[in-house]
Amino acid sequence: MQQTVSSSDHFESLRLELRRGCLILAVLAQLRAEHYGYALRKALADRGMAIDENTLYPLLRRLEAQGLLVSEWREEEKRNKRFYRLSAEGRRMLDQLLEEWRSIDASLARIVEGPVMA
Amino acid sequence: MELLNRYLHAVRGWLPKPQQDDIIAELAEDLRSQIEDREAELGHPLDDDGVAAILKRRGNPMLVAAGYLPQRSLIGPVLFPVYQFILVLVILWILPSVFILIVGPATILSGRDPLVALIETLWTLLMSAVFAFGVITLVFAILERYPPEAMLKWEPRRLPRVPLAKAVTFPQPVSRYKAIAEVLTAVCASVAWIDVMWFRTSFHFGGVAIALAPIWRSFFWPILLVAFSGIPSGLIGWLRPWWMRTRAHSLVRLAADAIALVLTVALANMGPWVHVSGTNLPVAGLADANHWANVGTRIGLAALGVIMLGDGAQEAHRLVRREPAAGQAPVAVRR
Repeated sequence: MQQTVSSSDHFESLRLELRRGCLILAVLAQLRAEHYGYALRKALADRGMAIDENTLYPLLRRLEAQGLLVSEWREEEKRNKRFYRLSAEGRRMLDQLLEEWRSIDASLARIVEGPVMA
Repeated sequence: MELLNRYLHAVRGWLPKPQQDDIIAELAEDLRSQIEDREAELGHPLDDDGVAAILKRRGNPMLVAAGYLPQRSLIGPVLFPVYQFILVLVILWILPSVFILIVGPATILSGRDPLVALIETLWTLLMSAVFAFGVITLVFAILERYPPEAMLKWEPRRLPRVPLAKAVTFPQPVSRYKAIAEVLTAVCASVAWIDVMWFRTSFHFGGVAIALAPIWRSFFWPILLVAFSGIPSGLIGWLRPWWMRTRAHSLVRLAADAIALVLTVALANMGPWVHVSGTNLPVAGLADANHWANVGTRIGLAALGVIMLGDGAQEAHRLVRREPAAGQAPVAVRR
């Protein structure tokens, strides 16, 4: 039982590590269209990429500080909301990251599905 | 919304001032959206329990605020292993050794109540450990922020050579430097011993004379034999290293250490070892000088015994050390 719990914890830790890079890619890709934070989180969750609020909002700020996103406060449905979208630099970065991701995906497929070589 | 406002206020306190308003406005908007969605699901306004559940799920205000702060560490992962090593070396090895061998005996032998002296020593050890911890942490925190040039610029060719002890051939020849050091130490020790015992039986400092007690004479030959034993052993290790493989050498050293340890223990139990005399000193001062000279000698003998014990343990470890298993990656031999 102890081993099962430990193995499950271990899996969770590795899963989080694996997802960390993908989250940035998912957020950048989703922000090709403008979203405010809550709507962005729901949109990502609807597409199978649920993200914790305490991870998403600090990430949005970091990406904005890096110049990959731009944001503005605007009123919608009688409430002030902060809308995010990709900047020009963010678009270039997204293209590069997607290219890299596809390359990693292809390499991984070759490794996982190919014959095991010593 | 009272609970929500209290929560936002608690988060605000942990945020950097310039970003407080912006972050809190966005956090408030997100939480209000969540509350509205939940109310729409239930078909009625949320009570305090419902709001509290949402806030609880969001997390502790301090941790929520921490997510917005840059990751900071006093000592980063690169320097941490070295920091940990130095800390363990100083606090667990060097400080206790100094206190057990020098400070403790000196305090206990100073004539105070032994229990008070022991407590005083332990307290000073604790304070020294706390001080050392603070200084080492401060030094590494500075290194973390201002790494020296040497750490950033390094050259593979300047890396230290692989220690000879890890060489592939077992048993291995004796290190030449170690053999030379052994010869020199043995020569110096033998000459100094003969000089002290036969040519200069007392030492003069101003009007004070320190003479060795007669007890040393009865140990003259055994001590000379131990001191001298390093000369042939070191010479063979230096000039004909293949004659004396590590294990044979270790046996000789182990025997010499054992004899030296027995002699040291015997000597330590036969004080007084020195006699201080001087026409310029008052009677009380002379008694004090005699006391402290003998305390110093006792501490010196205790330290010598510990060194012999340490060297003997090292040699014994070499003797019983297993050879590397077949297939284990060999390390290049230096010589």
